[in-house]
Amino acid sequence: MSIQEQYRKKAAELLSSGEVKLVIGYGSGSTPDRRRALFARTADDAALFHVDAACDANLSGYLVNEGLLSDKKKIGIFLKPEGIRSVNILAAESQLDPDQIVILGFTEENGTVSGLQGTQASDFTSLMTALKENRTTSEKEQALVDKIEAMTPQERFAFWQAEFEKCIKCYACRQVCPMCYCKRCIVDNNQPQWVHTSSHTLGNFEWNLVRAFHLSGRCVECGGCDRACPVNIPLRLINRRMANEVLDAFDHFSGMNQNQEPVLASFKKDDPETFIL
Amino acid sequence: MAKIGVFICHCGENIGAKIDCTRLTSAMNDHPGVSVSVEYKYFCSDPGQENVKKAIREHNLTGVVVAACSPRMHEATFRKACAEAGLNPYLCEIANIREQCSWVHTDQDMATEKAIEITRSLIEKVKLNNELQPIEVPVTKRALVIGGGIAGIQAALDIANAGQEVVLVEREPSLGGHMAQLSETFPTLDCSQCIMTPRMVEAAQHPKIRLLTYSEIEQVEGFIGNFKVRIRQKSRYVDMKACTGCGDCIQKCPQKKISDEFDCALGKRPAIYTPFAQAVPNIPVIDKEHCTFFKNGKCKVCQKVCETNAINFEMQDEFLDLEIGAIVVATGFQIQNTAMYGEYGYGKYADVITGLQFERLASASGPTAGKILRPSDGKEPQTIVFIQCAGSRDPSKGVKYCSKICCMYTAKHAMLYAHKVHGGKAHVFYMDIRAAGKGYDEFTRRAIEEDEAAYMRGRVSKVWLENGKLMVRGVDTLLGKPVEIAADMVVLATAITPQPDAREFAKVVGIGCDEYGFYNEAHLKLRPVETATAGIFLAGACQSPKDIPDSVSQASACASKVIGLFSRDQLEREPVIAINNESTCSGCWGCALACPYNAIEKKDILSRSGELIKQVAFINPGLCQGCGTCVTFCRSNSIDLAGFTEKQIFAEVMGL
Amino acid sequence: MSKPFEPKIVAFVCTYCTYAGADLAGTSRLKYPPNIRMVRLPCTGRISPMFILKALQKGADGVLVSGCHPGDCHFTHGNYHARRRWTVFRALLNFTGIPLERIRFSWISAAEGVKFAELISSLTEDIRKLGPFEQYKAMIHETEAPVSL
Repeated sequence: MSIQEQYRKKAAELLSSGEVKLVIGYGSGSTPDRRRALFARTADDAALFHVDAACDANLSGYLVNEGLLSDKKKIGIFLKPEGIRSVNILAAESQLDPDQIVILGFTEENGTVSGLQGTQASDFTSLMTALKENRTTSEKEQALVDKIEAMTPQERFAFWQAEFEKCIKCYACRQVCPMCYCKRCIVDNNQPQWVHTSSHTLGNFEWNLVRAFHLSGRCVECGGCDRACPVNIPLRLINRRMANEVLDAFDHFSGMNQNQEPVLASFKKDDPETFIL
Repeated sequence: MAKIGVFICHCGENIGAKIDCTRLTSAMNDHPGVSVSVEYKYFCSDPGQENVKKAIREHNLTGVVVAACSPRMHEATFRKACAEAGLNPYLCEIANIREQCSWVHTDQDMATEKAIEITRSLIEKVKLNNELQPIEVPVTKRALVIGGGIAGIQAALDIANAGQEVVLVEREPSLGGHMAQLSETFPTLDCSQCIMTPRMVEAAQHPKIRLLTYSEIEQVEGFIGNFKVRIRQKSRYVDMKACTGCGDCIQKCPQKKISDEFDCALGKRPAIYTPFAQAVPNIPVIDKEHCTFFKNGKCKVCQKVCETNAINFEMQDEFLDLEIGAIVVATGFQIQNTAMYGEYGYGKYADVITGLQFERLASASGPTAGKILRPSDGKEPQTIVFIQCAGSRDPSKGVKYCSKICCMYTAKHAMLYAHKVHGGKAHVFYMDIRAAGKGYDEFTRRAIEEDEAAYMRGRVSKVWLENGKLMVRGVDTLLGKPVEIAADMVVLATAITPQPDAREFAKVVGIGCDEYGFYNEAHLKLRPVETATAGIFLAGACQSPKDIPDSVSQASACASKVIGLFSRDQLEREPVIAINNESTCSGCWGCALACPYNAIEKKDILSRSGELIKQVAFINPGLCQGCGTCVTFCRSNSIDLAGFTEKQIFAEVMGL
Repeated sequence: MSKPFEPKIVAFVCTYCTYAGADLAGTSRLKYPPNIRMVRLPCTGRISPMFILKALQKGADGVLVSGCHPGDCHFTHGNYHARRRWTVFRALLNFTGIPLERIRFSWISAAEGVKFAELISSLTEDIRKLGPFEQYKAMIHETEAPVSL
């Protein structure tokens, strides 16, 4: 049985047994190579699920929809490892109860999809450790990082200025991000207006910096922002750079488990401080 | 519409000579929202303050900026003046143009330019200042002292003698703590029990002290002046009211072979017992774990012999909920288990004992009635080796810190030994002799010079048994030679460590621990008896290793803090506190984790029908100290800090 | 001869240590260049990265953030939290091309008046050498919209 068939069957069982009230997964999208979120409430719906290399979205963001989990019933969800990390962070930040989440885990490598053992976020601890130990970056992305790191500050500034100039402040990056669950985003606070709302470069720069800061130690690098950005700003690149920073400086790999302390709300007395005069 | 008054002080020549105050004044007069801008020689003087007050009334000012010296000097002065003129004192800001401008810059033009910018930015800030009221918190005038050792007793007595109510809680069956176990005390060699027991009795009989022995703290909630504390009174199985303390039950108890904790396992006790003869209260408890009745369901000898029917095997733990205004934590210490030094043979050889065990041997009320006798065969040891720092100052095996009291008690032990066993030889291995304190160095010198203790600077590497002798191999680093001593007894100066449950208990009370589990003071130098949690104070060795004089001093310091707190009916605090916008809060609790004061609680937001909609952060104004760490953490900008609001800082920066 | 470039430097400091240290520099009559503007806050824990961005928006050529030494925080550990934020935000600024020479962090205690004066002097000199932060200023000019409150 293909992995897709197995998971369709699993989802159907979860629904028909009444263990979960809903399964969030991937259905067909607007073109054959695209997938969009599918919400199955009956065992029949489960036959529409796809599990293949095109399933790239991190669906965990749907879990924090207001009221979805308040009836204490369980929800099944298709998640890749980064999605499981998101669930851990959302649990650590009290946005959901991980016991309510039944995970249908899968992973994709070079176009091949394989299933993951476990159903609870806590079942994947060894996977998280392995991810932390073997952080990977695509060659293309690494090449760009190397290029940027090699620039002078002036060149880097110019590079990002050119990128941020394109931003139209559509906030698609925010909408797609599972970590952007704030009831009010700082950019929507106009008392005071910390971030310019007009899409001038200055405001765009501020917005993207603030978002990257708020995601530091929380981003799981699912790439949702990259895919959502209509003007192709390499947003994940910044977030990945920050993820490396918190890993190097504080040994913090986001979403390791559901009890992880937020990196910016905790500290160690001997945190590194080489730059402070 | 803002009506700001700007008052530019010359501070005599201090500001006037360097800054063009007239230019500054006129520049401020032209600034939007400024109703009046005036200069004066000394605004802090009485006529100066009168000028400010007059201007407030005349121009109906909505805010005041005084451009003068540091706010650390005269902010209070000018706030008071504003209040006297009917303006909320928190609508006053100080532009520091003396310490941070006229005194440090040489170029008059640039200094004036800077003064203009500083003042302007504070005008922008003050426009957004809110009227604030000092926070008033009622005070429950009842102190809780946790721990009935010398520190707790001292604190309780001092507070009670000032006429305030005290609840003194001790988890053991009797008051006394470690001090009651000691034989004589350094540097005066007076008998510990002789000075301790009168204090215990005084505390127990004090009309203002409610003594709860064999009781533990279950829960602490609330904040300064308004704590709610739940205390568990463990069942003694002896009715405290009926018991006369005759001791018949103790005599008749058939179970007599329980290792005596008070005597550090050197003696035995029955299952119904008082820890020591002078226990306060002198009422026994039944040790449920060892009691024959509780184990086998048969016996009840104690009940049969008790003439007042005080024994009650059905007794249950009871809970007491008390309202408390201030808490003194005096939970003391334990000594480190020295088993990690396998090479010293503690636990393997009966005659390798700890310093505390030596105290019991030397104590007139101890298992040997004060005679120094070997635990193994009851013989008088002719040679004793004392090993200092058996745990302390040893990062690899023991603890990093110095336990502070061991140098002194080892000297004392050597002395007591010399006095009790004539001809006995005491050898002391030490790393350094730390005898700072009144009469302390003289004391150690006496041990060496008069009582002829042989001090050797060096460590011991091994202790082993050979032909009935404890062979001690060490090194005398001053001679640069290895040393071997055939001893009859070895005494280890074990490290003082926090109570085994110190960390968990810190969480119950809501205070912080250091890396070892000793409780954290608010400031090591300037606030050594306060904790970071307002209204909770520290006394004795729960904060760090301490001797008796230090513990007593700290206890009295705690008492003075508590009495000071109780001298008022209401507490008034600066209203610089964080406030959360509940409608935008997502309840991620990062703020609660970041808060150094545990001031952030979860608050349920309910619908009209009582269903839980969400949980949000609630910042307890009684606990918040106003650092603003939570404000910066809050991603949704839901939290703000009164007096330093986001709007104010934004305006201040934009005014630069 | 044209006037030398006078940089604008904004400092965010805690009131208990660095602000008091600056006061001590004053009472000791130490001299340092007048390019610095201080914003006083209760604790470094209160210093938001947004403040730094707003200072740059107001035309600052350099920013200083300073507070109590680790272990000395009046609020026990506001500065430990601040240190983590600075580490992260500084890396972010670096990656996006803000020269780190322009954004400085320091611990200055209430007793370190001399350190404060020396730091301000050297910082001002460094920023003077770097010249105005033209790249950022260009971005500010592009944004015509007035700052709204």
